[in-house]
Amino acid sequence: MSEFPISFTLEYPYTRTLGPVIGPFLTALRDGRILGIRCGGRVICPPIEFDPDTCETLSPDFVEVGPGGTVENWTWISDPSSKHPFQSPFAFVQVKLDGADTTMTHAVKASGPDAMSTGMRVMAQFHETLEERTGAITDVYFVPEADARNQSLRPGAGEVEISTHLISLTYNDTLYPHAARFAEGLLDGKFIGQRLKGGEVSIPGKGYDAIARVMLSEADDVELAPTGTVLSYTVITPVKYRGQKETEPYLSASLILDGAGQTLVQQDIRNIPLDEFRVGMRLRAIFKPVDERSVDDVDNDWMYPSIGNVVERWESTGEPDVPLDELPESM
Amino acid sequence: MAERCAVVGIGQTKYERCLPYSMDGLVRQAALRALEDADLSFADMDAIVIGKAPDALEGVIMPELSLADALGAVGKPIHRVHTAGSVGGSTAISASTLIESGMYNTVLTVAYEKQSDGNFMWALSGGRSGGAGAGGSFAPWIRNYMRRSGAPDHIGCKVAAKDRRNGAKNPYAHLGQADLTVEAVQESPMIWDPIHFLEVCPSSDGAAAMVMTNAAGAKRAPRPPAWVISHAKRSELGVFPGRDPVRPLAAIDCAKALYKKAGITDPRRQIDCAELYVPFSWFEPMWLEGHLICPEGEGWKMVDSGATEIGGDFPVNMSGGVLCSNPIGASGMLRLLEPANQVRGTAGDYQVEGARVALGQAYGGPSNYFAMWIVSSEPNPTFS
Amino acid sequence: MEDVAIVAFAQTPCYRRYQDSEPSLIMGLVNQIVAEVEIDRYEIDLTIAGSCDYLSGRAFAFIANVDGYGAWPPVYESHLEMDGAWALFEAFVRLQMGDIDSALIVASGKSSPGTPREIFPLQTNAYVSAPLGLDPVSVAGLQARALLDAGKATERDFAEVVSRSRRDGLSNPNAQVAKDVSVEDLLKQPYYASPLRKHDLPPISDGATAMLIARGKRARELCEKPVWIRGIDHRIESHHLGLRDLADSPSSRIAAGSLGLDAASLDVAELCVRFSPEEIVLRQALDLADGTKVNPSGGPLCGHPVMATGLTRIVEVARRIRNGEAGRGLGHAASGPALQQNLLCILEGDA
Repeated sequence: MSEFPISFTLEYPYTRTLGPVIGPFLTALRDGRILGIRCGGRVICPPIEFDPDTCETLSPDFVEVGPGGTVENWTWISDPSSKHPFQSPFAFVQVKLDGADTTMTHAVKASGPDAMSTGMRVMAQFHETLEERTGAITDVYFVPEADARNQSLRPGAGEVEISTHLISLTYNDTLYPHAARFAEGLLDGKFIGQRLKGGEVSIPGKGYDAIARVMLSEADDVELAPTGTVLSYTVITPVKYRGQKETEPYLSASLILDGAGQTLVQQDIRNIPLDEFRVGMRLRAIFKPVDERSVDDVDNDWMYPSIGNVVERWESTGEPDVPLDELPESM
Repeated sequence: MAERCAVVGIGQTKYERCLPYSMDGLVRQAALRALEDADLSFADMDAIVIGKAPDALEGVIMPELSLADALGAVGKPIHRVHTAGSVGGSTAISASTLIESGMYNTVLTVAYEKQSDGNFMWALSGGRSGGAGAGGSFAPWIRNYMRRSGAPDHIGCKVAAKDRRNGAKNPYAHLGQADLTVEAVQESPMIWDPIHFLEVCPSSDGAAAMVMTNAAGAKRAPRPPAWVISHAKRSELGVFPGRDPVRPLAAIDCAKALYKKAGITDPRRQIDCAELYVPFSWFEPMWLEGHLICPEGEGWKMVDSGATEIGGDFPVNMSGGVLCSNPIGASGMLRLLEPANQVRGTAGDYQVEGARVALGQAYGGPSNYFAMWIVSSEPNPTFS
Repeated sequence: MEDVAIVAFAQTPCYRRYQDSEPSLIMGLVNQIVAEVEIDRYEIDLTIAGSCDYLSGRAFAFIANVDGYGAWPPVYESHLEMDGAWALFEAFVRLQMGDIDSALIVASGKSSPGTPREIFPLQTNAYVSAPLGLDPVSVAGLQARALLDAGKATERDFAEVVSRSRRDGLSNPNAQVAKDVSVEDLLKQPYYASPLRKHDLPPISDGATAMLIARGKRARELCEKPVWIRGIDHRIESHHLGLRDLADSPSSRIAAGSLGLDAASLDVAELCVRFSPEEIVLRQALDLADGTKVNPSGGPLCGHPVMATGLTRIVEVARRIRNGEAGRGLGHAASGPALQQNLLCILEGDA
């Protein structure tokens, strides 16, 4: 059996509204300054919205702190992750900025671990241009005091009200054994389901029978005919979101293949006009030519399973419709 | 050992497309309002229970960690519930259980969503193209309900018009339109056939909170308590051959367990009003049937007769419901919070006169998670 | 308080990559438990699960796990997006109401498809930490240095935790990483997040753990040797590292105090030591005695099925009480960077 590697990237630029404390803090960072907030007799940096001891809401009484500070704690990161501020070795530190009473956790760019020590002095360095300083915690970093450059920074305009964080995570897996057999079947122009212990056929299979609570194996695989009945449908008006490529409304049907106990949901119907489409209609899958079939989007998720890109279209079998009262109530 | 639980504080934020607060600020606003209502402070709380829908909506994993300070949880127990759309309901029930166990005297529970930080459709589709969204998934089931019940097409529009009119009476609601007509809903674009645009819930930011306490705490409360009479949760498998998602067995079982514990034998008559989780209008008749408030096939008739309007014999979603405000993680909590609001007599313009016993319900996932509770103005209501 | 006991438990091995679904991991465990106590799965009154959507990168991934523990006919069920130890807490609390008798707790996680070091910065403050990619390993490095600077530990102490744990793991059939390695050899390894070396970190694991608990009378019906839960509590600390003393664990101490923990009475403690310095912090905060055996299973340094790691600690204590190795023990679970949140569970056999 072939192995089917699957890889997907979950990526979204989160847009965070900031409120009366984080907003001014990030606005100041964009402008090359660091703010703490007064809390009783102390100054807390990075500022928080409430007194950590009493939980009372703090009034936005800011104090400029830094740009120099003292390292109270550090760790040298020899092999940075792709999410770190530097892609060459650097230190994460807890730095107490001059004028603050608490530490901020941030990054120091230094020549090596030998340049680091508890108690050392560091200096804030801001990214030079307003393109790089967007009103985010990554607008600034720290360097050993001796390495600091004097900076003359142009402040930005207006208040930073939203901070954007692009979160991008890649996941790599392979199709589980039953899903791989399902995918292989699709490439061969076959629908492979799994027979459950009660006799019904689940398509795609899950590799187990959740009702009998037993694992299933290849011996439980069954091939279903490429014909079935429309149980329900909707017309999807595509909603815009990152990654969405659909722009025009399209028919999306729930079909029950002959012999299956469960519907194939969200089957795109692009060739049958809406006014000819109906519940109870008999359909047949016409597979694409072998070399045009792809199972790239088949994955291990069974909630909204994909049958890949193997079906050219669903067309009417020409048989009479199944009477509505003979359709199963289950979906 | 078992203690009684009472809701003595309720707090909500305004629900909007995008609220200009940090997540900390958002949850604090609801929490502080609930504490103020109960005349208590963070220091009086023995434990905190939070709930929200998937972490991917805000891109924050296990938010109880980063929100611990904002919720006054430092040095205390805090836990986080996640049962899909029903989560806010499950969260309130979990908090109630802390009180009922006798282990904690006073508990703060908060549920929230900040949908504007991310994008629900993106998260639901796993970032892939062609995601049908919740509407695209539920629309075929709604079509199936219409076919099975023989409900006329206008029923969904009637629910939507009612809920949006109710929402106009709720100062916290995201949407609300005092003069919305059934015709206007029918004329709105068909977005997931048979669902019209105006039959769909919005995408909201917002938070909801409750302070719960035991009988001794309720005695000290400055405002009338809402007594938790019973609660129930049921889940079933999400996808399997033979499953009926239009009338899920878990919905029926959950209601039966709930009514039995409360001593309710005739829910339509013995319950004064209900908040049901209706993100798409047609779920109102579906849940009226699914939770045995009326016989199968009769839910749409209740809607059509006006029974579910404020002033009808079984008002539903007096606050405007999910169709008016959908801060997903909090939406389920609101369905349980609003009945408390009703029996405390604090529901303002959408108060059901004399509400004594009220039902709250939340569902989630592919209609496979259910969380319900019954609250009353009386600690031991009797039913005849 | 109602007497509640652990009556059965099961765990999968810790796999580097388990090539099938999370529900399939869970299914075997639940079947094993119900077979052991000879009841039908649907005789269990309540089920609570703990898992994390982000491990597999799919919002609502936990819905699939219901398949693993069964919900047809429908069941009374809930889910926490937390380690299964907190699911145990919620179930224990629910049983105190006295109207139901038994609960199934399920914890599962597959870390293998993703990169935990890239995923878990999202646990930290979304405005001032997460965009820096501040990951649990880096924060553990800060915690390690805080211990060194406070004079509470040496690098040799870290290596001793690793050497002992990995050696103890050799006798744990579920361990993923286990070997006999000397402190001297460990200290020769290069730094990774100094003063931590790679061996101070846990492996990346897939795995699951399940447990059945029951109230007094029902517990005795279901098994011969119930392991009684004498108390369970959990506490959290500030999320802001600048407001914490990383060389201490005040939240563990508060939980211990509220439970009336008598540390000297513990035969065994399984601590959620994901990074070796955490053992030192916890030993000192809980004031563990020399006679208490710590992490005889090897602990999370030998296998770290995220979301099940904490519940597994409680199972490892229950196992030793049941087989007579211990009379009284402490299971510990942790969540968040540098032990931000800690749960303690005191277990005891019949006297």
